[in-house]
Amino acid sequence: MLRLALKMTWARKGRLVLTSLAIILGTGFLSGTFVFRDTINQTFDRLFSDVFRDVDAYVRSTAFIELDFGGEQRAGTPISALETVRNVEGVVSATGDIQGFARVIGKDGKPLGSEGGGPPTFGSIASDDSAGLWSVVEGRLPNGPKDVMLDRATADNGEFIIGDTVRVIAARGAREFTLVGIASYGDISSPGGATFALFDQPTASEFLLEPGFVDAFLIEGDDSVSDEVLAQRIDAALADELKLETLTGAEITAEVQGQIKDVLNIFSTFLIVFSYIALGIGSFVIYNVFSITAAQRQRENALLRAIGASRRQVSRALLVEGTLMGVVGSLLGFAVGIGLSQLLNALLKATGFEVPTAGLAIKPGSLVNTMIAGVSVTVFAAWLPARRAGRVPPLAALRDTALDTAGNLKRRVIIGLVLIALGVVGLIAASNDAPIQVLGLGVLGVFAGILVLGPAIARPVALALGKPVAALRGVSGTMARQNAARNPKRTSRTAAPVLLGVALVTAFTALAASIRSEIRDTFGAAFSGDFALTVDSQGFGGIPLSVTDQIAGLDGVAQATGVGFTSVRIVDPNDTTVDPASMMRGNFVQTINPATIVGLFDLGVTEGDLSSLGRDGLFVDAGRATERGWQVGTRLQVIRIDGAVIDAEVRGLVSGETSFANYVASREMFADAPTPIFDSFVYIKAAQGAALDEVEARIAAISSDAGIGTLQSKEGFIDAQAAQVNQVLGLIYGLLGLSIIIAIVGIVITLLLSVFERRREIGLLRAVGMTRAQVRTTVRWESVITSLLGAVTGVVLGIVMGVVVVAALADDGDGITFRLPVTGTLVIVVISFILGVVAAIYPAWRATKVNVVEAISTT
Amino acid sequence: MTSLPPPTATNATHAAHAKGATKIYGTGDSEVRALDDVDVAFQRGKFTAIMGPSGSGKSTLMHCIAGLDSLTSGSVSIGDTDLSKLSDKALTQLRRDKVGFIFQAFNLIPTLTAYENIVLPLTLGKKKGDETWINRVIDTISLRDRLEHRPSELSGGQQQRVAIARALASQPDIIFADEPTGNLDSKTGTEVLTFMRRAVTDLGQTIVMVTHDATAASYADRIVFLADGKVAGEMFSPTAQKVLDYLKHLGE
Ligand SMILES: Nc1ncnc2c1ncn2[C@@H]1O[C@H](COP(=O)(O)OP(=O)(O)OP(=O)(O)O)[C@@H](O)[C@H]1O
Ligand SMILES: [Mg+2]
Repeated sequence: MLRLALKMTWARKGRLVLTSLAIILGTGFLSGTFVFRDTINQTFDRLFSDVFRDVDAYVRSTAFIELDFGGEQRAGTPISALETVRNVEGVVSATGDIQGFARVIGKDGKPLGSEGGGPPTFGSIASDDSAGLWSVVEGRLPNGPKDVMLDRATADNGEFIIGDTVRVIAARGAREFTLVGIASYGDISSPGGATFALFDQPTASEFLLEPGFVDAFLIEGDDSVSDEVLAQRIDAALADELKLETLTGAEITAEVQGQIKDVLNIFSTFLIVFSYIALGIGSFVIYNVFSITAAQRQRENALLRAIGASRRQVSRALLVEGTLMGVVGSLLGFAVGIGLSQLLNALLKATGFEVPTAGLAIKPGSLVNTMIAGVSVTVFAAWLPARRAGRVPPLAALRDTALDTAGNLKRRVIIGLVLIALGVVGLIAASNDAPIQVLGLGVLGVFAGILVLGPAIARPVALALGKPVAALRGVSGTMARQNAARNPKRTSRTAAPVLLGVALVTAFTALAASIRSEIRDTFGAAFSGDFALTVDSQGFGGIPLSVTDQIAGLDGVAQATGVGFTSVRIVDPNDTTVDPASMMRGNFVQTINPATIVGLFDLGVTEGDLSSLGRDGLFVDAGRATERGWQVGTRLQVIRIDGAVIDAEVRGLVSGETSFANYVASREMFADAPTPIFDSFVYIKAAQGAALDEVEARIAAISSDAGIGTLQSKEGFIDAQAAQVNQVLGLIYGLLGLSIIIAIVGIVITLLLSVFERRREIGLLRAVGMTRAQVRTTVRWESVITSLLGAVTGVVLGIVMGVVVVAALADDGDGITFRLPVTGTLVIVVISFILGVVAAIYPAWRATKVNVVEAISTT
Repeated sequence: MTSLPPPTATNATHAAHAKGATKIYGTGDSEVRALDDVDVAFQRGKFTAIMGPSGSGKSTLMHCIAGLDSLTSGSVSIGDTDLSKLSDKALTQLRRDKVGFIFQAFNLIPTLTAYENIVLPLTLGKKKGDETWINRVIDTISLRDRLEHRPSELSGGQQQRVAIARALASQPDIIFADEPTGNLDSKTGTEVLTFMRRAVTDLGQTIVMVTHDATAASYADRIVFLADGKVAGEMFSPTAQKVLDYLKHLGE
């Protein structure tokens, strides 16, 4: 029977290809992201082993804070200790290293590199010590407070040549330097698209960090002893009170590789989750194809049963076929995935994020994962149709055409409605503070309910949608309408990918529109100034405080205040329950200037007076305070990055969306810190009667002089804040895109199978006088009706979910109201229409190729 | 019964005719001459049957004359129109307006009602048709109370009657039927044949029918016998007994 099953599969190679297409698509995305991740990881692994090739030991401070979003911030290392290290036996050279924030201003006055989202902009040290990371390709090393060296990519992009004056902005403000050299990092001109401004050590320390400090020492040994011994010797030589540690070259390499991997993995995990979703949606297509082909083979299976095959044998034959397709499809999908990963690379390159690739990394693990996912999804999708095939009564061999009914409609409606009801109960429970998993289960319940209900509603909805088509396109339209409605199961399954994509997008678009208008309202109420200068660099660099103060002092400016962010550790000395491992965890603090903020930007103070902050005061988010049992007067320890411990006191509470962090501190708290803080926002109010455009021009001049920040009017600023929601929407649209691709493939496959199944009917129609154009019209409109069926039910479902979720959020006291995204919804419907037309092109063409004589003479 | 020379085609009296019609399937060793230089004409207002052993080329001849398939050589005409000169679109239009079809089975579109199936060729051509005529046809097949039913809700005989009504609805020049009663029991078959006979006698239609059944053939005005892709003989005013005798004689 197995041989027979294989033979029967082989006899239908065409269908093998069709079904495999769905599997290839699903697994292609998956393996593509696997290969992409491995390739990037491998690249960075190699990059950093190259970079640290000559580093045998690495000295750094032991004081650090883990940052919220991964990574860590470490205290500086005193350069004074460098002499001690140099004198250790076995050390050939030791040099200071800094990786600080610095932006190079182009000749057009605009900063090079991107602000925020893109690759970082670094300031660093280039020295003549052999342990340095940089090799000079042109000119010489910087030497003195006026010298700068640039990485080759930055020099090329900015069209700088040796001798040019280069403006650089860093923690200590903006300065002009003379370009004395151009360097490359390892073998590449610019790692990961980052920009580098390089100085000699004293200049770098003073300009980027703090005079007398560097981030770390890079040490090269004479190889007379192992790196471990060398590190131990150095560690022993350094005084304990300096709080320094020594790592071997291998250790620091592994650590940096690990950190980079952590960051990259967030990105690739996200992609992989997307791919699994794609595979999940794709499984509908696979399931659909198996169901259709099983139905089309009903007679053949019945014949097998009639001549003595058992149910299990018939089912198993189909499962064998499914497994075979899973294996073949996943293998092909893996190959397609390798191509996709290259495409992803090219895409990143096109957006300016140059990832130096050190060859493709195709790991056996990726292949295994892809195969497991692909084969199990396929076998799973083939399971039900296979069982159903086994249950075919032998008598069906004598029946004419394949029957595909929606089964027991009543049961379907009941089960579907129960699932939806359970889902909605879950959603409502989630709105009453049930855990987030309940929300997920609720959404899942609603989806499952819709899918069960699908076949029951597919017929009436398809008939209703097809009514205008039938009226407009005559017989072709009528036939299209009837065809879309004739196999409700098939139609609803074909429409499912459209439905899922559209429902998600509609729900999120509605949610986003609601949140956007909420943000607009909140910021409109909180911000009473005229302008805002903003920089979009989360936690790395920003607007130097001196720039903020300079703006405050401008003619025509009544008031200007800066708000920034930094990380500290907050320790409650009275709380013994906190897990020590989490003690290193950093907390985001909002740094403000209490003297200028009042009356300009409302942080939502519910208790206390911001002017009482001082050097050792904190305002805490009311929710966080309740959670930890803190109140005004509670004493907490604030540990800065440099390790300084500040005994602080809670002096007030804030609550509201305009306070971006759980803690608020005065910028005074960080005035004596070796690592400077920055402002991310500067809010500005013009003086009464001052000409706004003149004031704006003056601020703009300062901002462009400093080469940092985007100046926005009040409205512009509020819009920009609201638009941040759009970034999340971008991801959701990505998901829509994916489901559209899958939906197109699904519709194409289903239509091809339907055309094949109805070739007699098409032949008959052609015989009695249907033109090729009319045949095409019929197929096209069937496709459009199917696609619209998914879109319309998806929009309805999405709106329901949007309303429920918004209601849930509104319960939290955020007071957001549901807003229907009318344009968005219309766009979705139009897209679905086009999708239907596009998907029908090939099947319609195939339908016109049906051989009339063959079709009517087959029995 | 002796075979007569094939009648020469004159378009005034002939609804369709074929001249030197040859159809070859495959090439070389696997070559099959399904039609071998066939000259035949079908008279207007007459009921013609085509008989012959299985594989003798009956269906092929019908398909080629009806414009469903093309000849390897020779020519066929419907009325004055030479089919070999027509594009696919023109052929489609010709089938829609000038030709009616009745197949052995699967004659109707399952998604359309009986009435929609009957007027299908007309609607495809965006025509209304002659309402009195259509009503007369519907009355003749006596299925007025079943017009809104789907084919799956009709018996085999009823389905074939709807198919005949469809073939008649557009008042075509000629109707081709390939074993229209092959799937029916003798009573239903008689019903269908009687109806076809009436369509010719009472409504003045032209019908060409392929059949294996001597009784069915006896409803025709004339029988054309095919063997090995050639016209083997002809019989006028047949009766079932005469046909059986002739077939026995042909088999010898
Ligand atoms: N598509 C084709 N390819 C090759 N040979 C064909 C094809 N169609 C028909 N033939 C051959 O042409 C010959 C005539 O076939 P045709 O279908 O016209 O016979 P028929 O007289 O209708 O037979 P039956 O009474 O069995 O229906 C047969 O030998 C058949 O095998
Ligand atoms: Mg035949």
